[in-house]
Formats: sequence, structure tokens, C-alpha cells
Amino acid sequence: MDLFERVKQLRKEGAKAIESAATEKKLDEVRVKLMGRKGELTEILHAMKEIDPQHRREIGQEVNQLRDQFTERLDVSKKALVKKMVEQRLENERLDVTLPGRPVSLGTKHVVRILQDDLERFFIGMGYQVVQGPEIESEHYNFEMLNLPKDHPARDMQATFYIDDDHLLRSQTSPVQARTLEKHDFKKGPLKMISPGKVYRRDDDDATHSHQFAQMEGLVVDRHITMGDLKGTLESVAKHVFGQDRETRLRPSYFPFTEPSVEMDVSCFNCDGKGCAVCKYTGWIEVLGAGMVHPNVLENAGIDSNIYGGFAFGLGLDRFAILKYGVGDIRDFYTNDVRFLEQFRQEEN
Amino acid sequence: MLVSYNWLQDFLDLHEDPKALAEKITRTGIEIASTVHPMTGLKKLVVGHILSCEKHPDSDHLHITQVDVGEEKPLQIVCGAPNVAKGQYVIVALHGARIAGNEKIKRGKIRGVVSEGMICGLQEIGFSDHVVPKKVANGIFVFPEPLEPGSDVYHALGMDDYILDFDITPNRADTSSMEGAAFEVGAIIDQTPKIEECTVKEDGPEWTQSWQGHADLKLAPKYLLRRISNVKLADSPLWLQTRLWNAGIRPINNVVDVTNYVMLLTGQPMHAYDATTFANQTVEVRHGRKGEKLKLISQDEIDVDPDDVVITNGDHIVGLAGVMGGFDSEVNDHTTDVILESAVFDPALIRKAALRHANRTAASARFEKGINWDNTEKAIDIAALMLRNLASGRIDAGILRVNDQPKPLKAIKTTVSHINHVLGTQLTVSEITHIFDRLNLPLKREDDDQIQVTVPNRRWDLFIPADLIEEVARIYGYDNLKSTQPVLPQTHGGYSPVEIKQRRVREVLQQLGLDETINYSLTSTEKAKLFTQDPNPLVTVQWPMNSSRVALRQSLLSGLVDAASYNLARQNSELHLFEQGRVFNHAQGHYQEYEHAAALYVGHTQPTNWQHIDHEVDFYGVKGQVVSLLTALGIKENVSYEAGQIAGMHPTRTAIIKISDVTVGFVGMLLPQYQSQDKALRNAEMYGFELDLEKIMPLMKPGVKAQPAPKFPSIERDLSLILDKKVSNAQIISAIKASAGKYLQQVTVIDHYDGVQIEHGKKSLTYKLTFLNKKATLTDDIVNHAMDEVIESLKQQLGAQVR
Ligand SMILES: [Zn+2]
Repeated sequence: MDLFERVKQLRKEGAKAIESAATEKKLDEVRVKLMGRKGELTEILHAMKEIDPQHRREIGQEVNQLRDQFTERLDVSKKALVKKMVEQRLENERLDVTLPGRPVSLGTKHVVRILQDDLERFFIGMGYQVVQGPEIESEHYNFEMLNLPKDHPARDMQATFYIDDDHLLRSQTSPVQARTLEKHDFKKGPLKMISPGKVYRRDDDDATHSHQFAQMEGLVVDRHITMGDLKGTLESVAKHVFGQDRETRLRPSYFPFTEPSVEMDVSCFNCDGKGCAVCKYTGWIEVLGAGMVHPNVLENAGIDSNIYGGFAFGLGLDRFAILKYGVGDIRDFYTNDVRFLEQFRQEEN
Repeated sequence: MLVSYNWLQDFLDLHEDPKALAEKITRTGIEIASTVHPMTGLKKLVVGHILSCEKHPDSDHLHITQVDVGEEKPLQIVCGAPNVAKGQYVIVALHGARIAGNEKIKRGKIRGVVSEGMICGLQEIGFSDHVVPKKVANGIFVFPEPLEPGSDVYHALGMDDYILDFDITPNRADTSSMEGAAFEVGAIIDQTPKIEECTVKEDGPEWTQSWQGHADLKLAPKYLLRRISNVKLADSPLWLQTRLWNAGIRPINNVVDVTNYVMLLTGQPMHAYDATTFANQTVEVRHGRKGEKLKLISQDEIDVDPDDVVITNGDHIVGLAGVMGGFDSEVNDHTTDVILESAVFDPALIRKAALRHANRTAASARFEKGINWDNTEKAIDIAALMLRNLASGRIDAGILRVNDQPKPLKAIKTTVSHINHVLGTQLTVSEITHIFDRLNLPLKREDDDQIQVTVPNRRWDLFIPADLIEEVARIYGYDNLKSTQPVLPQTHGGYSPVEIKQRRVREVLQQLGLDETINYSLTSTEKAKLFTQDPNPLVTVQWPMNSSRVALRQSLLSGLVDAASYNLARQNSELHLFEQGRVFNHAQGHYQEYEHAAALYVGHTQPTNWQHIDHEVDFYGVKGQVVSLLTALGIKENVSYEAGQIAGMHPTRTAIIKISDVTVGFVGMLLPQYQSQDKALRNAEMYGFELDLEKIMPLMKPGVKAQPAPKFPSIERDLSLILDKKVSNAQIISAIKASAGKYLQQVTVIDHYDGVQIEHGKKSLTYKLTFLNKKATLTDDIVNHAMDEVIESLKQQLGAQVR
């Protein structure tokens, strides 16, 4: 067969072979067969030596052209094959992405603690020091120092767990007021403190009563503290916790350790003040008690009530949580059903 | 105190809507817990006059009545009440009426007889059982006087009134009377209440001369008696009954009702005795004596206490002073002469007596919170007059004044500038004067600033300048105070160092995937002692509510087990719980509180999943959590774990945690609960730990000195050993550390095997040793040498073979 015929045939067969190579390996074999050192193109080039120079040149051109053509085709084919192969592999790796992921157990802060932390940060930002006190308290600090002498009728307001004649489980966080007042050195500046903690009362546990709950006490004492300052402070607390759009009101109340004494109500979040079962149709919900520190409390702590004065407040952390999150039963805080606890994870901040 | 709006009209000219008034009172003085309009929801209730009353032919208890209800023809009504009778004026619910509970009344047939309505008892139209007169408690209500048939019943029964529930704080007991409430409301709406004085014209003979009276001044600084003779006991007129029941008091008879009415009016509790009680004309107020007994009006027999205050007739006790009269001295159907008592008793003694005998009455509540010393005589005079008017009594001349100690008026001085300084206001002296005018408290201006307020005895709550400031603040109005923030020198807010550490512990525990719980500090005596290494004397409360809340816990784990039980009973079987809080004991006679942290695990370390990539909770997982916690708290050195025993913990799966030989807690498996009474816990495997933070917090040292990450590569070598089973990992580690030289950075166990492939009594352990020189690249020679030392030492000391 003459060389022209061989080139022509190779062009046809080569194209076919490249096209029909189904794998990268086959394609490589085709490349070797066509263009390798012992490949067909090489053979033709060797055979060219035998023919006349005029034709040799012509053939040479054809062979070069064919080599370029093969190279290009092999290249295209290879890319297509690789692409196909990758696609195949990815397809084999396909997952059912709708199967569930593996969640990790995250811990949750207790909802009462969430409120405690939030309020602590709020007050620390306003320059308050956080102070702790004992839960087993003496009658002296729980009552006497707070202007509640023995037989004071207001002791009836709190049924107290007594441990012995002089000791009890504190019925309020207020004794920390007395302890802090006694220790504070006013030469070093004003007293601004809060004190969160557990308190205990002899109540039967039911949906609205708990023999153990958490309170937070606040106290500011210096030379020029006014009731307006108390009102402003309480309003900012209430708005911080319950929302800026809440209205607040102060109304007279009674605590032996403050005079004047007030309670603060916020407009009912359930009905916006129109009246509903949550607010007992008053439109208002009581949130805390407060007042100007009673002169006897200051004097009991050795502070001259003619020079110093201030305000104090006490709020129930459980009550805040109940109101803020619509908790229907205070026992939910202490039975610790994980389904109850874990719903507050998103509230952490 | 239930305050009738209509009754208040006797003292004040009220035009305001009762609910709006209630809101004002709440904001200014006393919280109004509710405002009730008794006729709300009722419809078509009219007065009926029973013209005839026949027995129902087919019933032995029903009657057929013809009732005039002001229409052309009488209505036929079938009535089942036992007390129905001809001639009575009664409450009729017409066809279409609404009675209590929004129940609708319709015409119908009862046992074949047409009934065109219903004759009602008071409970059926919304009265509470405790105010309904006993006589009509089990039947229909019968008006004590004729009324216009067909007229509606609400006014006659006082149901068109508004009842304001004054939720009175202990300091404002001065409003526990209509007069006191009138002063308060008068101040709020700027009106002076019309308070009537009383003058008695006595019409009987002098009676006091022949009487002997003795009363300790401390027990009864005031003790007055009056005698009313020839009284005729009867029902009170309807106006008086309605005032009583609207105040929550059951009408009884005209004598008792008058004493209650006068108490409501003036705040002065009154008592009426049958005069035959004092046949020997002697009365005595004294302390009780041991062994004395008294049968009260309530028919309870009490043992009199030496701290009680009692009234006697010189022979025996006739009443528990200020709390309740005696049954035998009570006014009864045969009473003709009455002794009225009006007194002031020692508040603390009355309070204790009422508590002691579990008998807090309207009278004792008033005595213990204080009463107006200037109303004692006025009250007894009003009562005397009323008994003349309502019971045809004769007022015998004279008051037996056993004690009649006057109480001097207080004068309180303060200054306008002080008031403004405390309130943050700029009130003028005339504004302040006006406020005290409204309160009817006489004010004297001493100079431009100084004022003096004279406090009448009706306001015994006012003592000191701060009390006056409160009066100014509330009448001025808390709404009118400007909201400000304290203007103070800079203060540094923050947590104490101890709190910062507690917060850090809680934070890490939460990062470890644990849910925070809060459990009760009070628990049973058994649980309080569990999970402590050496239980101390317990702290117990004196009057526990029940046996499961007796003692303060000595561990947090006991509470966590309660929480686990609650959850497991509700099919929550994957639990990772912690608590950080206090435990308590009474060691060495002192009440002690300690901050602890504890955790409890049930189920799997991670949520179970379809790929089964999860582990059951086990000892080593929980121990790992302790290690992670301590490491995160900066405690890495000198921590050791030794097998040990703790009440409530598994005896061979519990480790005592020590730091530098000081016990700081324990970790392990809780004693299997299969014997437990608690069904929920029976099949649960629980692991946990408890740490004494009082020991750990001092080791937490805030502040890190930064170290660069190592620049030179480390070299790792694995070492497989075969040893006796009884050789512990802790021994091997310490031998390795002692012999490996200064470049040993870390040793970790990477494999443990004691199965069948190995000689009995032996085990195989594989360790990875990491060597690092922070200053240069380590050579193999150095590490090889170190490994040789280690191997030699393990062979010598622990008989280890290298595999
Ligand atoms: Zn509401």
C-alpha cells in the first residue's frame, strides 16, 4: 500500500480508535499505538525514507497535520473521559442529605439563672457590686437589723423556717443589706450593691408558691439619693426585662425596712393593660417592692441617718421568669424536666 | 377590709365611678384588690309577696304558692324550701331571670304543676355561705320587713353597691374601719369626711358604783363597760344586715350585729356579754393561769396559757380578751341585760394568743395591729344608742372605767428642705401644708422651713419624719415624681473574686454539655446524708412542712438524683445535669455553708443516632469530664484519682479526687438502684461527680503568662507492655515520668487489653510517649536513650515485659 493510502487510512482508523476509547487507560493505549515511539505515525515517518523526496515532503506535511489532529482529539477525549469519570465518582458518593445530622449535646443555663445573669450585668453596668450572703441567717440580720423586732406583726407576712431560736433559713435577701451596710466604709465612696440568692418560706408548694425561690436585693446609699432616683432605677429595670413599651406605676406599700415603701406594677403584657385573667382584670402586674431605706435600718448599722439615705429594692427572680416567659407553674423551675429546661437555650446571652 | 361604696357616701360626697376611685386609692393609699358589684350578671329578680302556700299533691316537700310580684295576677310558683310560708316577702326570679352562675330561670312544670319562676335563697343569687344568716341558710330568704311587690331586690339587699376590697398592709390598719377609710379616701379626693360624734342620753339607773373592776394597765390600758338593760333580741333591720354582709360578716341578732357594726364603723372591736355572767358585779382582766380552761363561742375548748389575756368575773374566765368571748357568757335567747365591752389590749399578747389558739378573728386582727385609742368611748356610746333604737334597751347611767389611760398626741418635726431632699422634689411649704390639710393632720409652720405635724391617735402609724415624707409622697402622687438616676461619684461595679470563679465553673460545666438544674436545699434526713465522704451533723428545720423537707442537703448529687427520677418517670432517659450551689452542715456546732458543683449522667454521652456513633455513659467518660473541667479551670498538676467509698456510690467504681493529696470530691457510678423504692430509678445506670468548690476555687488563679507554640518538632514513641493485672495505670505513668528525662512532654494510654489472647492474670497496655525539646530539634539518640531508661525502670519496678 502506498504511503498516501496508509496516511489516509490511519486518519480514519485513528479517529475512530480515539472516539471509541471508553476509559482513560484505553485512550492511553490508543495514544501509544498512534503516536508512541513504535506507533503508527512513527512507522510512517520511518517508511518515508524510502520514497522520493518530492513525495516525502508532501507526506511529511500530511503526517504533521495528522499528529496535530490526533493530539487535539486525544486531548479533547481525555478531558471528556476525566470529566465523566469524576462525575461518576461523585454520583457514587451521593448521600441522602435528608437523613438526620448528629446533634451535639449543648448545656443549657437554668432559666432563673438566665434572668439573674442578665440583671447582674445590667446593674454591674450601672456601677453596682454583686454581694453574696449566707442562706442560714441569724434572726438578728434577717429581722432585727431590718427594723423587724420580735412580735412585729409584719413577721407574719413571712412564714419562716427556724433552725433554732436564733437561726433560720433566710426568708429574704434583705439581710445582705444589713450586713453590707455594717461593713461599708463611706469614706471610700457610695454603696451600690445587688445581692441575688435563694430564700426560703414555709409555704406549701403549689403552682404559685414554692418553699424555695430566688430573690435579688438592691441597695444604694449615699448623701443625696432621692425617691426620684429610685423611681428612675426601677423603671429602667422593668423596661430592660419586660420591654421598653411597658408602662409602670408605683403604689404605696409597706415593708418594715423602708419608708416610704412602694410596689411597682407593670402594664400587663398579656392584655396590654386592658384587663385579663393574668392580671386579675386590673391591667397591672406587680413585679417588685422597694422604698427609701428606713432610718432605723441605717442607725442599726451605725450609719447617721441625718447624713446618709438611700433606696432599696427586692425582686423575685422566679417571678420575673414566670412573667417574662409565661411559665404557668413555679414548680417547673425545681423539678428540672429537661424538656422544660432546654427550651430556654435560645434565651441565653 | 371590704369597704362599701354606698356606706362611704355617709361620709363623703362621691361622684366618681367606683372603679376609677379604686384605681386612685390603689395609686395613693391602699391597694384595692378587687371592686365587686354584687348584682352583676343578675336579671329579673323582684320582691314577691306570698299570698297563699299549699302542699303539692304529689310531693311531701314541695309547696305550691301564689305570689304577688306587682303584676295583675299573682304567679304560681312551686317551691321546695322548708321555710316557705304564706305572708312572706321573698326574692322571686321571674321567667327569663338570671341567677348566680349565669343560670337562666324558665317557666316550667314541677311534678305536673306549672311553676312560673323561682323563689330564691341568698346563695342562689350569689351570696357566699359565710355571710348568709343561719336562719335562712337552708331555705329561701325572707325579708324581715314588707317591701313593694315587683320592685327589684338589688337595692333592698345592698347588691347595687360596689364593694372595694382594701388590701391593707400592716402599717395602715387605721383604714380597717369605715371612718378610717373615709379619712383616707377623703385625703385622696380632697374632701373632709363627715365624722359624727356621739352623745348619749342615759335613761337607766346608775350601775357602776356597786361594781369592782381590776385590770393590769399593761394588759388593758383602756377597759370600759356599759350596761344596757331590758334588750329584746331580734333580727336586725335589713339596712344593718346588708351593711354587715357586704362587709363579709354574717348577721346573727341585733345585739351581736350592733357590736360588729360599731367595729366596722369605728375600728373598735366590741364585745357583748349576757349581764348574768357578772352576777357578783366583778370584772377582772388578767393573765391566764396554768390549768384554766375556756369554752369559746366557737365551742372550741382551749387550755388557757399564762401568756393569754383573759376576762374573768372574779370567779372564772368568761372570755379570751380581744380574741373571742366564752360560750357561757354569750348573749342568748334568754338574755335581757347586756354588758358591752370596749377596750384597748396589748397588741403583742393578743397576736400571740390568736396564733396560739389558731383563732384569728376580726377583733384580734384589729387589736394586734393597733386601734384608735380615742374611739373607745365613742364606740361604746354608739353601740348603746343603737341597742336602745334596735333592741328597745335601756342605757343605764355611767360607764365602768376599769382603765382609761389617755394616749398623748405625738408631734413630728421635719423640714420642707428635708422632704424635698428625700423625694427629689421642689415642693413649697404651702403645697406641703395643703397635703397635710387633705390628710386632716394639723400642721404648724415653725419658720420658713421647719414644720411640725400633730398626729391624732387615729393615725398611730406615724412616728418619724420618714412617715411624714411618705404621706407627702403618696398624696403628691408617685406618678408626679420625676424619674432620675442617682448622681454619684464613680463606683466600680462587678462580681467578687469568688463569684467570678463560681461563674467560671458553671460556664465550663455548661460547655461540657450539661443542663443546669436548681434543686431544693431541703430534703429528707436520709437523702441529706448521701454522697458525702464523712457525713457531719445535719442542719434541720424546727417545724418541717413534711418529711421530705426536713434537713439541709450535704451534697448536690442527692438533689440531682431527685431530678433524674422525675425525668426518668417521664421517659426522659438521656440526662446530663449539673448544679452549682450550696450544701450545709452543722460541724463543730457551727452552721456551715459550702459551694459545691455536681453532675449526673444517664444514657449516652451524645444523642443516640441512626449511625450508632454514640457511647453509653460510663466511668471513664464521666472521669474525662472531670479532667476537662479541672483543666479548663487551670488545674492540671497533682490531680490524682484513688479508689474509694462514698455513701450512695458504687463501692468498686468510685474514685476519690485529690489535688496535692487534699480530697476535693469524687467521681463514679451511683450505687445501682435496683433495690430502690423509686421505680423510675430501678433500671437506670447513673454516673456522677461532686466537687467541693471551697477547695478548688483557691487553686483557680486567673491570669495567663503567654507561651509561644513550640517551634521544634516533637517525637512520639509507642510502648506496649505486659504486666500483672493488679498494677495500676497510675503506677505505670508515675514510673514512666520518673525515668523518661526532661524532654518527656506527655504520656497517654492508647490501648488496654486483658482478654483471652493474654496470659491469665496479666494485661497489656500501650502508651504513647511524646518528647519535645522547646529549644532545639530532638535527636533519635536522645529519645532512644530515654526509652531505654523507661523500659529498664518498668522492668525493674513493675515487672513489665515489653512486647
Ligand atoms: Zn392582663
